[in-house]
Amino acid sequence: MELLVCIKQVPDDSVEISLDPVSKTPALQGVTPVVNAFDTYALEMAARLKEAHGGEITVVSIGGEDVKNSLKNCLAVGADNAYLVKEEAAFSHDPAGIAKTLKKAIGEIEKDRGKPFDLIFCGKESTDYASSQVGLFLGEESSLPVAANVISVEPVEGGIKLKQETEEGYRVMEAALPCVVTIQKPNYDPRYPTIKSKMAARKKEITELSPIENLESQFKVLQILEPPKRAAGVKIKGDNIQEAVTEAMSVMTKARIF
Amino acid sequence: MAYLISEEAQDLLQDVKNFCEKEVKEPCKEFDVSGEWPKEIYEKAFEQGYQALEVPEEYGGPGLSRVDVAALIEQMAIADAGFATTISASGLALKPVLIAGSEAQKERVCELVLEGGLGAFCLTEPGAGSDAGAGKTTAVKDGDSYVLNGRKCFITNGGVAAFYCVTAMTDKTKGVKGMSMFLIEAGTPGLSTGKEENKMGIRTSNTCDVVLEDVRIPASNLIGEEGKGFSIAMKTLDQARTWMGCIAAGIAQRGIDEAISYGKERIQFGNPVIKNQGLQFKVADMQIKTETARQMVAHALTRMDLGLTYTMESAIAKCYASDIAMEVASEAIQIFGGYGYSREYPVEKLLRDAKIFQIFEGTNEIQRIVIANNIIGR
Repeated sequence: MELLVCIKQVPDDSVEISLDPVSKTPALQGVTPVVNAFDTYALEMAARLKEAHGGEITVVSIGGEDVKNSLKNCLAVGADNAYLVKEEAAFSHDPAGIAKTLKKAIGEIEKDRGKPFDLIFCGKESTDYASSQVGLFLGEESSLPVAANVISVEPVEGGIKLKQETEEGYRVMEAALPCVVTIQKPNYDPRYPTIKSKMAARKKEITELSPIENLESQFKVLQILEPPKRAAGVKIKGDNIQEAVTEAMSVMTKARIF
Repeated sequence: MAYLISEEAQDLLQDVKNFCEKEVKEPCKEFDVSGEWPKEIYEKAFEQGYQALEVPEEYGGPGLSRVDVAALIEQMAIADAGFATTISASGLALKPVLIAGSEAQKERVCELVLEGGLGAFCLTEPGAGSDAGAGKTTAVKDGDSYVLNGRKCFITNGGVAAFYCVTAMTDKTKGVKGMSMFLIEAGTPGLSTGKEENKMGIRTSNTCDVVLEDVRIPASNLIGEEGKGFSIAMKTLDQARTWMGCIAAGIAQRGIDEAISYGKERIQFGNPVIKNQGLQFKVADMQIKTETARQMVAHALTRMDLGLTYTMESAIAKCYASDIAMEVASEAIQIFGGYGYSREYPVEKLLRDAKIFQIFEGTNEIQRIVIANNIIGR
């Protein structure tokens, strides 16, 4: 099976990020760029699929030269080929623009490799802006079926069987190929790159693709705000339990908790 | 501050840091208490290929410079010094073969290591510590074989190794010039392991007696020539010492990291204790010592990579790094106050781990003899 995994490089999500007081944009200096966690789950799922059923994995990303490092990390944990759409201003595009760019890239990669993709993986969302839309837009742009929040994929006669996580539980369904899936965290962790696989990945070529010129966004970001600081709590000092509980209930009633 | 390393090593360092943070640091705490060898942790590390870092590129290794490897080993030592010791001791056992072995021996041991096997270097005996030449283990030539008998002690990886480099006397009348070095693979009849040491520190590493009872090996397992064993062992230790300095510097770095994060958190008299200049000076001294030790390690390794002499530099690196690791670990405990003395907190372990580095691979007294001999002359 020919597998494509769409990768976004994001700032390390284990670091707390604040806004730069002057520019009012996220202060990302010194924050290590990493592969979006949900994309690493997608890549691991693809790698397991490849190991069990054969095929090849291609990864694609959009961004500047520094994104090549993230793509090399992908090459060290299961990807066979990597492509980068060279677009320094990737962050200024809305999810639909990213999906359009990906669609163009996918066409070029398929032409370059001489075969179409059967299954296209995206993370269900990115850990930075978390729009959760790119995979869905990509399906729409490419006129392909999309399944979101998928936690497992398994080839079956004429397509694939998917397990989707929903608010209530799971939904199992089948889809024809090709299709797009967005991946939720499965019950396993991505593998670590080994010294050997990392050294080999560093030597691999990453093919560059061109972006769409003058891509217009359907919306623009007006302002970025930090989440409000947690306000100090209310200390209830009753002389006895009855008083304390009564006061607590009145505080909650005023706050319209009930 | 850190080692100045290649771009690829910086990349690998991130991976090692990530792996050690998740798979080594926390899980090793439990094994520090039990003293059990954490097989599962090591198996994951072997999948990563950590034990093969020192395998030369022509034998399938990663082809990193020694300073590059040091940065990775230090990261392992920051997570757990016993873990780093196990990994590094395998590199130690490779050295006699790489220094004096035949092409076939080199290929064989590198193959074993690449497959996830560890090595053990067997020099010390109950009656032959600093006086390594006083060893009583013998090797007697018998046709196309050697037959070895004796007992080695305090052998790192003794119970878990895939191969052993063992010194034995082939001619007792010649003293150290009658010592030879042999390669013995695990599973050879007559080779067994004895008592496992219940150690003060580096408790996630395996240390035990290695017993040789009529161990018959092919004559082709002689490393180098007969009578060269002592010289090969000394050359091995000359190189290996720097690596012990590297791990010791890692222990010290962990002490600094823990002391700073605790010092920022711990409030006394209304302020984080690190705001006291008295403690800031302590941390500065810890940093001065650790960084100096690290750069001495780097200097000795660079000399090795350049093919220059390194005996004295290696001895200085090991001796200084282990001495300051004790001091820095002790100061880290001091900054933690009463909590530092508790096993609930991470710093008392550092002092226990650090102590052995002043002792093994040549005590620091022996290191000072080596250094003095190098500058005074005989």
